[in-house]
Amino acid sequence: MTTAERQAIRKYVAVYVCLLVITALQFLIGYRGAEGGQLVVRMLTFAIIETLLVVLFWMNLGSEKKNFIQYVVFTMLFVLATMNYIWTDSFRVLVFRLTGLGPS
Amino acid sequence: MSEAHLTMGAHTAPPMEARPFAMPSKKFAMWLFIMADVMTFAACVAAYAFLRNAATDWPRPFHSVTSVAIMTLIMLTSSLTMLIGLTAAKAGDKAGAFRWIMITAAGGILFTLLHIREWMSMINQGVRLFSNPWGPASFGSSFYVITGFSLMHISVGTIALIIVAIRYRGGRYNADDIELMNLFWQFVGLVWLFIVPVVYLMNLAR
Repeated sequence: MTTAERQAIRKYVAVYVCLLVITALQFLIGYRGAEGGQLVVRMLTFAIIETLLVVLFWMNLGSEKKNFIQYVVFTMLFVLATMNYIWTDSFRVLVFRLTGLGPS
Repeated sequence: MSEAHLTMGAHTAPPMEARPFAMPSKKFAMWLFIMADVMTFAACVAAYAFLRNAATDWPRPFHSVTSVAIMTLIMLTSSLTMLIGLTAAKAGDKAGAFRWIMITAAGGILFTLLHIREWMSMINQGVRLFSNPWGPASFGSSFYVITGFSLMHISVGTIALIIVAIRYRGGRYNADDIELMNLFWQFVGLVWLFIVPVVYLMNLAR
């Protein structure tokens, strides 16, 4: 095994350890419990950090050409942003259910 | 020589357009597939978030997530072994790459079995697609759809890993094909890292 390959594996192991620590923190937060909104924010923050680590270092997106990275990132962000526009409507449904108002 | 032959011979092949992303077509196709799959998973999670947020009595049925923690550890470890297999394949170490990919596949099999055990536990508690003992009927359907979609990816990916590893050892596939499998395997692992907090950790029993 060459030095470059050893370095690559060392990088993969370092990311693995980071992911284990982040996942352990997620479980800790889950068990300790937090208020609804705070819990969602914390969990999603950790999940986004995990995503960045996996996509950049394990899927090697970071070593691709700049225009490909831009293509993947902008397409995904656009789709995910528009998809999340939909579920906010659930607050309207929730208010209807809590107040008994709304369409029958 | 006929006129037709002369005419055909006079043609030269049109110049190929340069590849804008400078990557093999197979790899680009795999990235496109992954991007499409991200949209499907995101749609499932968005629908789940909609249902969960709109429900006033969403159940929190998970008292212990020890098996989920073990499954996560297996998934992360198998992602690492896949990368070691890819590194070996790029170095031309066929035996090493085959061994590490088969270890990855073993992780996939173990994960699948634990996932089925988790499902059986939920089924035994009375959780069905359209009913459950605790509250909104949509809990069961959303739980099984999201986790089932992930389970399908991981089990199919495990079979693909075994096939690719065998064909790689036989000389039909090369390191580029292992790289494609690596992309897919890292993606399914990443999806699981989203499912754990959204489906399990945010629904721990209080």
